[in-house]
Amino acid sequence: MTQTAEVTSVSSLQGKTSALVRGRSPAGEAWRRLTRKKLAMASLIYISAILVLGLLAPVLPIQSFSQQDLSNTRALPSWEHPLGTDDLGRDMLSRLIWGANTAFIVATVPLVVATALGVTIGLVAAWYRGWIDTLFMRFVDYLLAFPTLLLMIFLAATLKPAVVNFVREIGPAIGQPQLWRSGLVDYLAVLLILALVGWSGLARLVRGQALSLKEREFVEAAKAIGVPDRRILFLHILPNVMPLLIVLASMSMAGAIAAESTISFLGIGIVPPYPSWGSMIASTYGYLRTPYWWLLAEPLLIVTSLLYAFAYLGDGLADALNPQTR
Amino acid sequence: MTETNKLTPPATAGSTATPNGAAAGETLLEVKDLKMYFPITSGIIFQRKVADVKAVDGVSFRVKRGETLGLVGESGCGKSTTARAILQLYRPTAGSVQFEGKELTKMGGNELRRMRRRMQMIFQDPYASLNPRMSVGSIIGEPLLIHGIAKNKKERQERVQELLRIVGLNPYFINRYPHEFSGGQRQRIGVARALAVEPAFIACDEPVSALDVSIQAQIVNLLEELQDQFGLTYLFIAHDLSVVRHISDRVAVMYLGRIVEIADRNELYENPLHPYTKALLSAVPIPDPVVEAKRERIILTGDVPSPVKPPSGCNFHPRCPIAIPECKEIIPPLEEKTPEHFAACIRV
Ligand SMILES: Nc1ncnc2c1ncn2[C@@H]1O[C@H](COP(=O)(O)OP(=O)(O)O)[C@@H](O)[C@H]1O
Ligand code: SF4
Ligand SMILES: [Mg+2]
Repeated sequence: MTQTAEVTSVSSLQGKTSALVRGRSPAGEAWRRLTRKKLAMASLIYISAILVLGLLAPVLPIQSFSQQDLSNTRALPSWEHPLGTDDLGRDMLSRLIWGANTAFIVATVPLVVATALGVTIGLVAAWYRGWIDTLFMRFVDYLLAFPTLLLMIFLAATLKPAVVNFVREIGPAIGQPQLWRSGLVDYLAVLLILALVGWSGLARLVRGQALSLKEREFVEAAKAIGVPDRRILFLHILPNVMPLLIVLASMSMAGAIAAESTISFLGIGIVPPYPSWGSMIASTYGYLRTPYWWLLAEPLLIVTSLLYAFAYLGDGLADALNPQTR
Repeated sequence: MTETNKLTPPATAGSTATPNGAAAGETLLEVKDLKMYFPITSGIIFQRKVADVKAVDGVSFRVKRGETLGLVGESGCGKSTTARAILQLYRPTAGSVQFEGKELTKMGGNELRRMRRRMQMIFQDPYASLNPRMSVGSIIGEPLLIHGIAKNKKERQERVQELLRIVGLNPYFINRYPHEFSGGQRQRIGVARALAVEPAFIACDEPVSALDVSIQAQIVNLLEELQDQFGLTYLFIAHDLSVVRHISDRVAVMYLGRIVEIADRNELYENPLHPYTKALLSAVPIPDPVVEAKRERIILTGDVPSPVKPPSGCNFHPRCPIAIPECKEIIPPLEEKTPEHFAACIRV
């Protein structure tokens, strides 16, 4: 115990605010631990690079993803087409980067929606318990009882026509009568599907964590002080759920990218000419044992390497954020 | 530590207590027939109550301003629940809690929030009782913020530093996080948080049980100094009889949700009446080998019964060495057996 020593030094320090001791916040500590993990950091850099490339697709000096050149199909890499052209003579590099753009949208938008939904529902269910908790959690159970892929196919089959109809109807009103024919509705439908599928598991995990945090003495202390419920939820419980959320976010981004590829591969997600790695794989799938196998290899390599990177990053994050689990 | 306390005695504004318990004698807290049952439910959508955990089952006592009432009993007998029900962290199932003449059980919302400035709690586990994601400044500053005690950020920081000094911590550690402190230091942070609202009453729920023996005395001494300095009233919970003996003016012994004996500290330790108190005391080793060899030992048989289905009548009867058949029928009231010495037993 060093309190007495600390106390005696106080008077000499008095008045000097510069003498305030810097604290090491748990978040800062976790980041420091993560930076020491080479594989996780390399993965983080790789993922960020691809996603940023996708984000910047509209402003990058690349060719159009839909410009066909039927006189130059399945061309090997060249100066003009660094990654070759596909069977309609479209630039592969451009399509892959636009595929990253799709992946970025698909990985982030539903994540934000699903997280907002899952966190709110999880926290509310844990805090208020009672029938509201029972109701939400039963619903989550039913959602989770469906195989995810089946659920997505079901949603794609039922949601997409609804979205198309909706956009067709409001199209004239917003001065875009042709909007429903564009790829936008595909995106809308896919994003909606992913968000709907994503929130339920998250809500259950957040609820579990919040339930255990709720019984912790620091929450009791906050109540004893008279801290209002909402402040307890958002300032005491939520920050302690953050590590879980970050690990889940990394997992669900990977999941969303894989899911979009899957449903686009099945032809019910993003359909050509709009660029998606999944639909690129679907359309080049037949080239497996032909000289044009690299048309399949390129998108496949990106998807798999990205998913591996997410797995390594997730591992590193789980380690860095919960050092006691090691 | 004593020196630091002299540095800046904080204003006891809003408090009617005078330091050194000058107003002692007046009742600060009166608990009457307090019951706290936790329902056990079952059912998928519609929750049906199938039983109750009778954690606290009819507890009554008084705490005078400036005094320390010790509350002892085996783990699980309902001590923490009693404290939480007094502070309305759990809303009691039945009974009354009067604090400074006001009934707390019927209070809600803002009125109750205002009362939180008058009564506080210190917790058992110094690791669980501080939010790991908040700096010490935010932890101790939160009550100041919630109750608008400090006018602005600067004033709040100054007040937090003053509180750190009062509990014997370096005020320049304000930006540190709980994980950077030892158990004893964390407990001091918890004490500072409780002191921030300038309360009259603090329920100390086993504040030293989780600490190393060497640190325990420091925290107990700190609490005693703070009591003198600010005229605090304590409900001091412990399962360790020696700690309670040191700090308490009066001691209450609890068994399975009920109080079985209350008396002046010395009276209770020297003249225990209730067989349960006698058993607890006989388990405490006496440093004098002659006395230790001569005294009668009461070894309790059996386990503590479940508070879900407590035994009928005097709920101590299955383990009581002097039980008679009537004990199964009669719930013995807590009676004044000798002046200011209450016990709940039909055989004393
Ligand atoms: N929130 C709760 N819900 C249900 N049962 C509880 C709750 N809190 C405490 N209990 C039960 O009440 C009894 C008394 O617990 P507690 O007051 O913590 O005892 P002590 O502090 O004396 O060790 C125990 O049997 C415990 O399991
Ligand atoms: S009332 Fe009966 S059972 Fe209870 S303590 Fe007294 S003698 Fe024992
Ligand atoms: Mg307890």
